Formats: sequence, C-alpha cells, structure tokens
Amino acid sequence: MPQNPAPPSDDVLRTLHPDCPDWRRLGPTGEDAALRAMAEAQRVVEEERDAAWAGGFNRRTFLKGGLGVGVAALGAQLVTSRVSYAAADEPQHGTLVVVFLRGGMDGLSMLVPASDPQLVKERPNIGVRAGSLLEFDTARGFGLHPAMAPLRPLIAQGRVAAVPAVSTPDLSRSHFQAQDCLERGSSGSLSTGWLDRVLVASGPGTTFRGVAVGGTTPRSLVGAANPIAMHDLGSVKLDVDKADTAATTAALRSLYTGVDHPIAKQTTLAIGALGTVARIRAAQPAADAVHYPDGNFADALKNLAMLIKGGAGVRVACVDVGGWDTHTGMGNVDRGDMQRHLGDLAAALAAFAEDLGPDRLDDTTVVTMSEFGRRVEENASGGTDHGHGGAVLIVGGGVRPGVHGAWHGLAQRTTLGDIPGWNDYRDVLSEVVGARLGLSAGQLNGVFPGWRAKPLGIAA
Amino acid sequence: MDIEERDAPGVEEAPRSASRRALFGLGAVLAAGAVAGEALVGEADAAEAATAATAVHRGKQYRTASAAAKAAGRARSRLFPHDPHAHLLRRATFGPRPKDVADLKRLGIDRWLERQLDPRSIKDTRGTKAAALFPLDGAGPGTILRKTKRYSWDAMMATAQATLARQVFSDRQLYEIVVDVFADHLHVAIPGGQWHTTPSWIKDVIRKHAFGTYEGMLLAAMKHPAMLSFLSNDESRRKNVNENLGRELLELHTVGRGAGYTETMVRSSAKILSGRTWDYDTGRYYFNEPWHWTGRVKVLGFSHANASMYRGEQVGDAYLKYLAHHPATARTIARKLAVRFVSDTPSPALVNRLARVYLRHGTSIRAVVDAIFKSSDFWASVGGKMRRPLDDAVGALRVLDVRRAAGMRTPIGWLYWNLNAQGHAPYAWGPPNGYPDVAAAWLGAGAMLQRWNLHRAFVNGWWPKLGWTKPSKLVKRTAGMTTLQWTRAAAKRLLGVTPSNRHLVAVVHGAKLTAGSPAPTDDWRCGKLATLLLDSPYFQLR
Repeated sequence: MPQNPAPPSDDVLRTLHPDCPDWRRLGPTGEDAALRAMAEAQRVVEEERDAAWAGGFNRRTFLKGGLGVGVAALGAQLVTSRVSYAAADEPQHGTLVVVFLRGGMDGLSMLVPASDPQLVKERPNIGVRAGSLLEFDTARGFGLHPAMAPLRPLIAQGRVAAVPAVSTPDLSRSHFQAQDCLERGSSGSLSTGWLDRVLVASGPGTTFRGVAVGGTTPRSLVGAANPIAMHDLGSVKLDVDKADTAATTAALRSLYTGVDHPIAKQTTLAIGALGTVARIRAAQPAADAVHYPDGNFADALKNLAMLIKGGAGVRVACVDVGGWDTHTGMGNVDRGDMQRHLGDLAAALAAFAEDLGPDRLDDTTVVTMSEFGRRVEENASGGTDHGHGGAVLIVGGGVRPGVHGAWHGLAQRTTLGDIPGWNDYRDVLSEVVGARLGLSAGQLNGVFPGWRAKPLGIAA
Repeated sequence: MDIEERDAPGVEEAPRSASRRALFGLGAVLAAGAVAGEALVGEADAAEAATAATAVHRGKQYRTASAAAKAAGRARSRLFPHDPHAHLLRRATFGPRPKDVADLKRLGIDRWLERQLDPRSIKDTRGTKAAALFPLDGAGPGTILRKTKRYSWDAMMATAQATLARQVFSDRQLYEIVVDVFADHLHVAIPGGQWHTTPSWIKDVIRKHAFGTYEGMLLAAMKHPAMLSFLSNDESRRKNVNENLGRELLELHTVGRGAGYTETMVRSSAKILSGRTWDYDTGRYYFNEPWHWTGRVKVLGFSHANASMYRGEQVGDAYLKYLAHHPATARTIARKLAVRFVSDTPSPALVNRLARVYLRHGTSIRAVVDAIFKSSDFWASVGGKMRRPLDDAVGALRVLDVRRAAGMRTPIGWLYWNLNAQGHAPYAWGPPNGYPDVAAAWLGAGAMLQRWNLHRAFVNGWWPKLGWTKPSKLVKRTAGMTTLQWTRAAAKRLLGVTPSNRHLVAVVHGAKLTAGSPAPTDDWRCGKLATLLLDSPYFQLR
C-alpha cells in the first residue's frame, strides 16, 4: 500500500515560511518593526544596487540574455530529451551533487575566519574560537567548525574546498525570493532552473541524468530535461503487486505503442527506469558496507550512491536539507543547532564518499548552496538573522583543496552587518559544473545567461 | 483613442507561411509566456506534440458550435474515434462525470455550452459545499488578520485547496477551467510572501473577472496588493522607480515581447504605475501620490503629460485600458485560451480570428471562449493536448465520480501535496509567468510513474474519506458478460470512448485476465482493469 502524501515537515515549512519573523525584532511593536523593516529594505536596495550593478548584473541584461537563451535551450532540449533508460553508449562525464541547505546557512559557523578578531567580538556567545577549529586552510586564516571532523580524512586527501562570501545577485532577505533567484540562476523571468540548463547543455543521457533524491523536484531542475524526483529508490515503482508488475508494464507498452505523441516515449522510459531501479536494488548486498548516520540527508545520499554505483548515469543530483534558518539557539562548538546540523552534514558526506570509493569519488563533486548567509553579529536569542554573503563547501574529485575566492575580512562588512557577496554564485557554480561535466565556457553561457564567469581556481 | 485603427493591420496581416521555421519566428512576436510552446515547433519532437489534425486543419468560424463541429467533419486522430461530444467533454471539463455526459446528451452541444458559459444558470450545490469546507478560501485581508496568526499559511492553503475542491466537484467546469487559465496568465505565486492578500486576489481579481472583460481584470489586478507586492510595485518610488511590474505588465500580461516597445517604454510603464501601493496592516490598496513619478510618459501609442501626482492613478487606469484594448494584447489573450482549449501550437489564423472577437467585444473573455467552440479548429483538434498532472488527478477523480464525504478536507489536502510533488499544485508556480500549458513542459519518466500510482490510489479507494465508487460498480453488469465486454463498457464509462480491440485486450492481459472469461466481480480485479484505462493514452491525451 503506498504512503499517503504528507505535508512537508516542520523543518521545510519553517524554511519556506512566507516572511521570516526576523524583522519583527526591529521594533518594539509590530507596526514599528514593520516600518523599520520596510525602511531598511529600501535602504538596502538603494545602497547596494549601485554596487551590484557595477558588478555587471542588472535585471535588464538578465532578461535580454535570458529570453534568447530560453528559446535556444528549449531548442536544444529536443536533442537531450532523446534519453535512454540505460547508460549504454552514452559518454559519462561524472556526477555533480548539489546539496541545498534551506533556510540560509550561516557561513561563518561552517567556514570560520578564525584569525579575524572581529568574529568573537560580534559573536561572543556563538562565535567559533580559533582553538577549537578543524584545521583547513591556515594560510588564508580559515578553519572548519569542529563538528565537521568526519571530513578530516577527505581534507587530508585534498578533496575539500570552500568559498566564503558567496551570494546571488538577488539582494532580497526573503527566503522565497533568494531561493528562487539561486535555483533559477536568475532574478529575471527565466522559468527553467539552472541545473535544467546544465543538463540541456550536457547533451543526451539516461533517464536518471537528472535526479532529485529525498523529495520533490527543486526549482533548479525545473524545465525541459525532465528529471526524476524520488523519495528513495524504493519509491521508483509501480504500486502493483510484485507478481503483477510484468503484466502491467506489458499492457502499458502495448497501450502506448504507435501513439503519435511524445508521451509514448516517456512511457517506455518510465518502464525502463523501473527496470533499472529494480536491477540496482536487487544487486544490493544484504548488509551495508558503509555505515551512514541516521537522518533524511544521509538516506538520500545513500540512495544516490546506489544509483551512481549501479551505473544509472546520474549527471546531476539534488538533495535538500532543511533547518538552517537559525534565528535562535545556534549554540557553541559543543552543543546547539549548528553543531548538530554541521555534524550531520559532514558525517553523511563522509559516508557518501566512503561508499563511492576513491575511483568513483574522483568522478563525483558535491557542492553545497544556500539562499543567503547570515549577519555577522549575533542577535539577542543566540542566533543570527538573514544576511547576504554565505559560504559554499565543495567535496569530492577534481577540486583544488582549500579556500578560494575573495575575502576582505569582517571589518569590511556592510553597514547593515552583512558579509557582502564578494564572490558570485554564478562564478562558483560555472567553474565547478564546467570542470565536473566537461562543459565549455560557451555551453555555460546558456546556464547563466548574460553572465561571463570568472574562475576562482576551485577546479583542479 | 485611435490606436485600434493604427495597430489594426497587425491583426489582419497574419503570417501566412505554413513553414515551421516561420512559425518559430512568430514565437518572438507572441507573449513570452508562450515562448516554450513556440520554440518547440520546428523540431522533430515537438512536431509529434502537435498532432497532424491541428497542424493541417484550416479553420473557420461558424455561427454555432454544433455547426462548427459538423463542418470540421471527422477529426483525424489515429487514437480517438470520431465523437464530438466526447471531444467537447475532454476539453471543456477537467474530466466528465456521468452527469456531464448525460447533460450534454440531453441538451446538445449548443445549449450545453450556453449553460457552461453562464455559470450562474447552473445550480452548483456540490461545488459550493465542497469549497465551503475551506472557510478561509478567498478571505479578505481583514478576516485573515483577525482569524489567523501573522504569516500563517492557513488562508493561502485554504484558497488553493478550495480551488481543487471546486475543480473536482463543481458543475461549472468551463468556468473553473478559464479561472485556471487566468490564474496562470496574471500569476501571483501561492504560497508566497503575500500571505494575507493572495486569497482575495484569487476571488476578487481572477474569479470575479474570468468570464468578464480582460480590461476589468487588468484594472483590478493593478490595484490589488498581492500583485503590487509580488512584482515589487510597492517598492517603487518617485526617485527610484522599480521596473518589475511595469515590465511584466507589457511582457507577460498584455502586449508581449515583440509588440515593439523599447526599454525606455518599459521605464515609462513602471513610472506610470508608481504610487500604486498598499497598507500592510489592513491589506488594502491605496494610491500614494508622493510616490508617483510625474512627467511625460510614452508607451507604444499611449502618451500622456502625466503632470500631476494627484492624477497619477487616473493616468494609470487610462494606460491599462489602452493596453487591454491593444491588438497585441488581444493576440496574447486569444493565444492563451487557444493553447488551453485547442492545441499546444494554435495556428496564427485561429489566434487572429479570436483576437478580433476579443476586440470587437470590448475585451470580453467569455466571447473569446465562446468563439473557440464556434471554430472548426477546435473540433478538428481531437487528442492533441496532454493532461498535465492537475488535469490528470482532478480528471480521474471526476470520471470516477467521487462523491463528497465527511472529512473530505483531509484527502483534498493530500491531493494538494501530491500535486505539489508533481510540480503542479494550484498557483504554486514560482516565476511570474504561470504554469506552462504545453505537453513538452510536463513530460518525464518520473512524472509518468507518479500519475500511474495516483490512479491506483484513486481507483482502489486508498485515500479514505473521498466518496469512493467501487470499481466493480463502475459498469452495469449484464448476463453472461465477458471480461472483454466489461472492459469495453468500463472504457466507455470512464473515458467516453471505445478503444480499439487491440488496446482492450492489452488491458485485459495487463490485469492477468482473459478476454473471453466471465467478467470479474471483485473490486480488486475490476480495479486493475479500470486503472489501466486511466493510465492509457485515451485518458492521458485529451
């Protein structure tokens, strides 16, 4: 019997909360706070707009590039939609795993500018002290949160990189708008997701070339490439008795044979996908070789590893992790939300890397993203409020270890207390994607329309 | 105003060329929202999507829908047998309940459409009661502020789920479909930051004007807090005009890219709208004169001195009326409706004919819908559209004739979240251009599995509290009925068609039964047969 569809967990709802309660702390009464929030929002727009536009972005160039590319991409889709359900003769470019940390991950807790005296000054209760850090890039003055110790072997192998102060061109502090901008790779009216455009650019592949594991299709994968969204491998099935599967799929094939509509092909692909997953599941040993920690994120990575190891042809995979909207109780290095979340993240990634094994890990790159970073200064509730620039973690093959990109120190934060977007998501993602999936600068043009990416030196 | 005269030739001079390349080029002339559909023309895959019937037919308008149906003759669909009633029900309802089939048979095409086009003439107890399960559906900001906590999702969810309840239970099906089209055309994402204003957006802008004039809808939209907030017009200031809404108004809501406007005109469009804002505490619209940009504005054929901030709102209304009556807007609206009702790639000739109807009838949406059914294009387009996830789910519940049941709110909620997982919950599309309405945007192997599994849940009654029709009762059993006969009757009942024998036998074998054996009597085996019928192209295409 299938599960009934459940509303999203509290975590997800909180992440998607229409308007974070954040701004209510700005004033003694609701109205007062709202006024100040609006005034502040306006000031942000005014103050930061010039800087942002000076950096080459404005909505107009996005739209201009966007539309043309939208059309071109949909044209190209007609090639890539000719997918197969088995990897067969398709060239393999490796796998990009995009982990979306929903809620606005606090970059300063993960990638800690330990040598910056400003940090502990502004974060007396929640700032990670230099002495407790996991050693990472001492030369540039950064360490990782100690809860991320499970990554230690990967760091030693030179498989971990990070970028501080990364942001989208969207200056909104709204979760909705910022996630939307990041996932579409545009604040214009482009309606496909950036990863969809990556898949389109990367050419033909298997049904599993784009997968969303652990939930629904994220906006980044919306578009022409038609990803598979799955809770886990077990959910890629037909809800019929096992003994009936063959008869049912045979009937579906007959019903769609000769039908003059592209839906006919999708039927064939869906049945093929069922076969692929059944084969992969059947090949699983009774006991897991690698121990994954508990939790949805680890489960999703475990399922993803099965697909990759099973040769399903995964090119782009998305996994969501909620719970990063830490307005309260971030805690310290020993306990609290950040310690727990970062610990879970690192442990799951470490297990995933071990499960893939060194060779497959060479062909796999994991990149984390989040809609925005958080403010430098801690708030009265032991948390931090919505900010701007945040940190990105890159784990796996093909990376140059250590910290990359611009960093000018916490003293250079904005008057609003944010870390600016010294590094642009489109630069980070273009480089990682280009290297991982073998896409040229020309092909990447369509991924972030109108954006000329500058490599930060992340890719080996 | 003389703009109609000036711009009118654009309507008359339809691109004649039938070449795919020419069609592709036309895409740029039409609304950006339609670009996906247009772009696909001219390539092999998309050519499959446009059935031969729609691509080749040269349509005309007729005095009545039945005359148009007759003139279209036998539609060329390899899958669907010729049956104008079944075709109409596949397009003008989310899925026909037995009552819809009976009504159409009783009234005939013209009278049935007449009723559907006058929804108030249809007593709709079932639909009204189903929607009433969600008391915050369409609630005003005042009510929402009073009855829910700040930032509560309750009213947004109630509105979206009541929409599903209406689609499943209302007898005013054509109206609900047109509501769906315009909620995507003038799109505000729900859920979104507009937690206390989007419910009344759906009620007071979309539903209120869906069978009225587009001019009325557009004027209401550009004074509604939900839109003003969704597209940032409330951030627009005299000295710092926000372009967001002014641009989308031209690009998505009215004339579309290719109408010949410049970037300067986009700025002007935004300037004209500046000052339109709203009050967060009451959720009410107001025009804030000091925020209005003053000075001459010019957009296409509209020009105004716009000298006084106190008259800024009136200038805006005049501008919106100008846009609503612009021939390029007429084509945008005509095309939207043609894409929903006729084809993913409606012919320019049809779009132009409908655009003329729109202009001649003072931007009446209802007149355009009426004209669609009076075109032979509609009747010739059999089987050319694919159900999107919502059309599939709502349609399946309707053809299964689910009844209202106590506690139905819960499964309607499940339906919402299931559709959300399929990427098609009502109003939940993020960008301002609304859900795409072409098959290419919804194809996918994973999507097929989700549909097939949902059919199994519905047919087998796995979702409690939705009044379930036992599969064994779908068909009236006759003496000595064979499994093949039962399946044929079930197909007629659920799909409104008689599939080919080859397909019927495939369904029988899919249920591990034999054609000549006595028809099954248990729900489990009857359910297998019924489910495969819903899985089949006879239901998935419309």
